[in-house]
Amino acid sequence: MLLIMTVSLLGAAGARADDAAPPGRTIAYVVTNLSWALQSTPEMTECPQGLNEGVREQFKLLFPDAAGNKRTLVDTQLRRQVESYQPTTAPDALPFLEGQGPVAPGLDLDGTVGPEDFTGPDGARGVDNQMHRVLGCIANYRAPDGPIRFFEDEMVLRENYNRIIVQLTAVDSLVDDPDVDVMFFRGRDKVLVDAGRLKALPGGTQRIDTRWGGRYIQRTHGHIEKGVLSTEPVNLLYPWDAFYMPTDQYMWGARLHLTLTPEGADGLIAGYTDVETWYMHMLRNWSAHYQSYGKSSGPSIYKAMRRLADGVPDPATGANRAISSALAAKFTEVRVLPFSGAEHAAIAAAKPGVPYRGMPAPRPAAEELAETRGSPPKTVNESVAGNP
Amino acid sequence: MRVSGRSMLGAASVALAATTVCATGANAARPASTEPYIPEAMPPGFRVEPSELDGPVFADPKGRTLYRWPFRTMRNGVTGDGKGESNCADAASTESAGLMSPYPGGLLLPELEKRPSCQAMWPPAYAKDGDKAVGKWTVVTRRDGRKQWAYDGTVLYTSVRDRRPGDVLAGDSYRHEGDAPAMREPIQPKSDVPPGFGVTTTLRGRLLHTARGFSIYVFDRDTRERSACDAACEKVFVPMQAPATANAHGDWDIFTRESGERQWMFRGKPLYRYDEDDRVHSLGGGDVPGWHNVYTQETAPPPADFTVQDTPSGQVLADARGRTVYSYTCGDDAPDQLSCERPDDTQVYRLAMCGAGSAERCERNFPYVEAGPGARGSGRLWSVVEIDPATGHFAANGEPGALRVWAYRERPVYTFAGDVQPGEVNADGLGDFQAEREGFRAFWWRDDFFRE
Repeated sequence: MLLIMTVSLLGAAGARADDAAPPGRTIAYVVTNLSWALQSTPEMTECPQGLNEGVREQFKLLFPDAAGNKRTLVDTQLRRQVESYQPTTAPDALPFLEGQGPVAPGLDLDGTVGPEDFTGPDGARGVDNQMHRVLGCIANYRAPDGPIRFFEDEMVLRENYNRIIVQLTAVDSLVDDPDVDVMFFRGRDKVLVDAGRLKALPGGTQRIDTRWGGRYIQRTHGHIEKGVLSTEPVNLLYPWDAFYMPTDQYMWGARLHLTLTPEGADGLIAGYTDVETWYMHMLRNWSAHYQSYGKSSGPSIYKAMRRLADGVPDPATGANRAISSALAAKFTEVRVLPFSGAEHAAIAAAKPGVPYRGMPAPRPAAEELAETRGSPPKTVNESVAGNP
Repeated sequence: MRVSGRSMLGAASVALAATTVCATGANAARPASTEPYIPEAMPPGFRVEPSELDGPVFADPKGRTLYRWPFRTMRNGVTGDGKGESNCADAASTESAGLMSPYPGGLLLPELEKRPSCQAMWPPAYAKDGDKAVGKWTVVTRRDGRKQWAYDGTVLYTSVRDRRPGDVLAGDSYRHEGDAPAMREPIQPKSDVPPGFGVTTTLRGRLLHTARGFSIYVFDRDTRERSACDAACEKVFVPMQAPATANAHGDWDIFTRESGERQWMFRGKPLYRYDEDDRVHSLGGGDVPGWHNVYTQETAPPPADFTVQDTPSGQVLADARGRTVYSYTCGDDAPDQLSCERPDDTQVYRLAMCGAGSAERCERNFPYVEAGPGARGSGRLWSVVEIDPATGHFAANGEPGALRVWAYRERPVYTFAGDVQPGEVNADGLGDFQAEREGFRAFWWRDDFFRE
């Protein structure tokens, strides 16, 4: 996602414009890097048992090429694809290694310090980031060079689909302001980059996309304290595609925590990520081949994500449909071109948050399991002994 | 990893009235909606047939479209025909080839008892004794000793799927990159466009563009004699200059602007490119009132009760209730790369994907787009077919319980239960390799973000 933030420094009551106010009392930032915030140390202390296996390795474990046992495509490849496209919460036939604590990046989303919470790298307590448990020990998503992490991050800068505008108004200073109005919307221009095309430069321009990006226009409030912007929770729909596959993500109760400078911003976007929408996003962008790049497995991720979901209980089933998470985001300053009358009207109509627009909530687990084709998934040992 | 834009059909809009400029002059006898091509020498009896989607295609003396199977490098190996040889066998494949990652080869293919051979699906275009090479057409000797026609060195086939002249139901001219199966392609004469121009197949028609892919436009208020695009206009819509050596021919003419500048004209309309287009195959200029993309030929419109819905990425074709319409794509991973996407192909792959093997569950997740009583398709592309919902295969005439459903190129189309509101495309790309190889893809009627 290329996230652009405009900060208007028209002061709130009692505040004053100071030297930290940008020219014209407005500033805009574009997201140039975006990835799931995970604890990824070189020593892998958060993964004491190592990293998870991926599609390719799981296939070999489940369906070994034993002599005299001719495997069928239906009972091997298609069986695994079924488990990927029609995932359930049935217990995983293979071990899943969760990311461990005590340290993980993120924010305290629920205002409590619970047994499942982490401590932030800065020592903050009560960090809610169960996504770290799901993705923390999967090579694809780990820093600095997990393949999916790398490509999703690269697409943020490269593809116009991912360009959103967020506007903050009533800001007197980038250092200290008690009340700013924050608005998100999508831009429609390429980002100004250096000759290597990998680094965004401040000072580029953007036009607002009201033709296709109307659903991304939304607003919230926040404050700036010691140069850090913190916003109130808002349900955030944001585009994040890879290789031209138009996919969105939905984060319930999303909030920004960004260190601001005149040239850029750096920090976290944290909230509860909708599980079904995340999973469909993953399937559509990263089929089995791409999952194999960095040893991830759709069925295993889905089961872990449903098991560890800790927010937004579904009224119908009581099951949590979202998982606490954080995105590591970097921004670069841009200039938003003046709005037309129609664009002003579209922005004026924006309301706090965006109604949910993602995948429907999952059906009850028992109903899913009842539809599971054939017998329950075999364990590795069963498969080795009686390879179908 | 794919680095190019998505190989989609969609690059057009029904909301914006595109223009198929009418034929005049030397080609006036030809229907206005067919694309001009450059004639070339052909074997006796061979001919060129207009096809609705792909433009002109070469056909054998019986009018059957001719295809080649280009040699392709896949993820884990190669397949297709090299020059002068046929790898389309007369024995059915029994095992997967493992050409695509990450699954291995050597897996027994589904429904082996019904699986046809490559040659059963793709009969070679046999040559007769005494047939002689002409132009790009040559005769090669197959491994079995029989003679087969080749074009530009690549052997040729017909398809058992095609029934009428102009049918191109088993291959296409646009899906050859990325991780799609090793597709068969119709062979085609060159489009009759001057140097500096090109034509691309889209869902809406054959889009005229520059050689670099940037769209060509015409202006409503222009005529053969006069351009209404003034100096300010020319800064945005830039005239397509014709060199001093350019000559009028066929549908192409030279228009002389007031400045003396020579400008290409197609079917009586001066041609422009749009300076604000920053992507190839754009429809952006058509958003300006009075301006339109240009198609050398248009396809017949979709069913009348279909709609077009805005999405964050462009426009999709949708059913009457606004739910996005999808097609199912499938090529198996056997050496012969046969289709598994039509109702007369195996349904094992589709049912696994959309319903975990259950036709009932599949119908719930990806319901067919049913056609109303008396509904009929227009043109060759959209039709109503009868499907046995219990199997996914074509139903016999009058079969009880059969569904009458809309089909595109004889492949049923679907909606997705996960799309709750109009404009949602939650299943687009769901499948293997973003559904290029297998899975569901939305009908993109206009894409504004897929290409750079």
